[in-house]
Amino acid sequence: MRAGALLLPATLVVVAGLLLPLLLLFRYSLNAFVPGQFMVEAVTAANYVKFFTDPFYLAVLWRTLRVAALVTVICLILGFPLAYVLARTQSRHKNLLIIAVVLPLFVGNAVRAAGWMVAFGAKGAVNASLLGLGLITRPIDIMYTETAVVIGIVAVNLPFMVLSLQSVIEGIDRAVEEAAFNLGAPPGAMLRRVLLPLAMPGVLAGSILTFILGMNAYATPVLLGGPRFQTMGPLVYGQFIEQNNWPFGGAIAFVLMAVTLLLTTLANLVVQRRMRR
Amino acid sequence: MARLELESLSRHYGATVAVRDVTLDIPDGEFLVLLGPSGCGKTTTLRMVAGFVEPSGGSIRLRGEDITRRPPWRRNTGMVFQNYALFPHMTVAENTGFGLEMRKVPKAEREAQAREALRMVRLEALADRLPRQLSGGQQQRVALARALAIRPDVLLLDEPLSNLDAKLREEVRIEIRELQRRLGLTTIMVTHDQEEALTMADRLVVMAEGAIRQVGTQRDLYERPADRFVAGFVGRSTFLSGTVEAPGRFRTTGGLALACDPGAPPGRAVLALRPEAIGLDPPPHADNRLGGEVELLSYLGPVLEMHVRLSPEDRVVVHLANRAGLAAPRIGDRVALGWPAGAGMVFAEP
Repeated sequence: MRAGALLLPATLVVVAGLLLPLLLLFRYSLNAFVPGQFMVEAVTAANYVKFFTDPFYLAVLWRTLRVAALVTVICLILGFPLAYVLARTQSRHKNLLIIAVVLPLFVGNAVRAAGWMVAFGAKGAVNASLLGLGLITRPIDIMYTETAVVIGIVAVNLPFMVLSLQSVIEGIDRAVEEAAFNLGAPPGAMLRRVLLPLAMPGVLAGSILTFILGMNAYATPVLLGGPRFQTMGPLVYGQFIEQNNWPFGGAIAFVLMAVTLLLTTLANLVVQRRMRR
Repeated sequence: MARLELESLSRHYGATVAVRDVTLDIPDGEFLVLLGPSGCGKTTTLRMVAGFVEPSGGSIRLRGEDITRRPPWRRNTGMVFQNYALFPHMTVAENTGFGLEMRKVPKAEREAQAREALRMVRLEALADRLPRQLSGGQQQRVALARALAIRPDVLLLDEPLSNLDAKLREEVRIEIRELQRRLGLTTIMVTHDQEEALTMADRLVVMAEGAIRQVGTQRDLYERPADRFVAGFVGRSTFLSGTVEAPGRFRTTGGLALACDPGAPPGRAVLALRPEAIGLDPPPHADNRLGGEVELLSYLGPVLEMHVRLSPEDRVVVHLANRAGLAAPRIGDRVALGWPAGAGMVFAEP
């Protein structure tokens, strides 16, 4: 009874703020869209059919998946050593180091993306430096490419990955690593056979978090990818705000949600099965 | 022939010295125990042998080869950690076979050897369990089997029994000792438990403040302690402070005149007495014969422990063997105590 009372406020917020709008949105996605008439009451799968039969939309979905996966892998590779050092440091300044990792999140997404725009432009800091060093003879295109988007999202997501990994690595007994070394495992083998398997819950949590954030990114792909670099987030926005096509926007939103949910659940199952053996 | 030599081994952390100038020659097959209070440098010494701590100075030679700068994975030492450090995601058999897997031993052979190691610690029936499904004692034996499976040149035991309950500890002590002797393994064990050290060691090293205080057999340490610290740490002693006034004559600060070892040099000193060296009702011609009052009495089973006040400044602890017919004194009784001059150990004080 008391537990129920404690859960009530949060439950109300979730029902009113998330579940009801989602139900509403799902209902909209089954409606028809007639230009000039806005939304017309119906029960049809036409919006979903349109999405899955048009190569343009499938390409957007594929691009979004590719970017999110790439971001996740890069965050994992960059984040693991950082998380390991944070977890194992004896430094008195550990809290400061953790704050330093989270610091980028103190800046809003749009502001950060604007910063990247300055850096990536044809006359931006990156090109100016490379030109100045004589490494390139003409500015390279970074702005409005997939590379720029991936770099931008990695910068946002890295702290989430690092914190997920760090909390799990901290729980792994240092002596277990030493035992592996003692039994003849060089660092690579120790990592592969002992540290990574034991850190798997953190790898999974961090990857899922990063992947979801990557799939749903909005400001970064819009600002760094430009109008021709379409991903799912901006696509949904465009249907709702620019095309006024709520039924189709709702359908895209549900496709995005379903694909994200499906993949993360699948990853969870595969990893858990492998860990249980 | 796995002889291990440590030469002037030391380790500093900034200005603090964890280990200073440790030199030891451990012959093949010896069970050596590093004994000392926490923070005395015994664990750091062991970890330098394993390769987890880099020495600031000195060298380590194993089978005559210098391994001082060799990484731990190329040393072939088998370590049993205090908390066992089993791999929680691997079965008992996989844990035991891990070292062989790293040595690229073919699977069939590896499994046979792991099984053999598990048989030595009588755990072959639990090969497919995960560590968390085992009791503390069983985990300890898996850790031992895992270290033995690689046929190490040296077995390193870091307080291996400290997490077991008292009864089990006694069993495992004997089991480890017999296994070590049968395999003829050079072994270093670290402990702060003197009883554990005395029952298991061929030879003991007493350490304090990062340095070796004394190396010797149980009898050496107990009967001829090198200094006051060893006399207090190995076995019990009562310390009476005072002065050696003349050869063979010791006067306590409480004013007692005692006969002592005539070889002790004159000057400020402490006289250490083992509780069992003091007897009740000594013969009239005894070297030392004193009266005192019983202030505390404890019944310990095999012995009766008495704290006897000899002077306002001097109190001694006496152990009386609990034999049939012992007329046990009571608190407040006056008793006569005595001991031969040679039973007291004199250590000069600065």
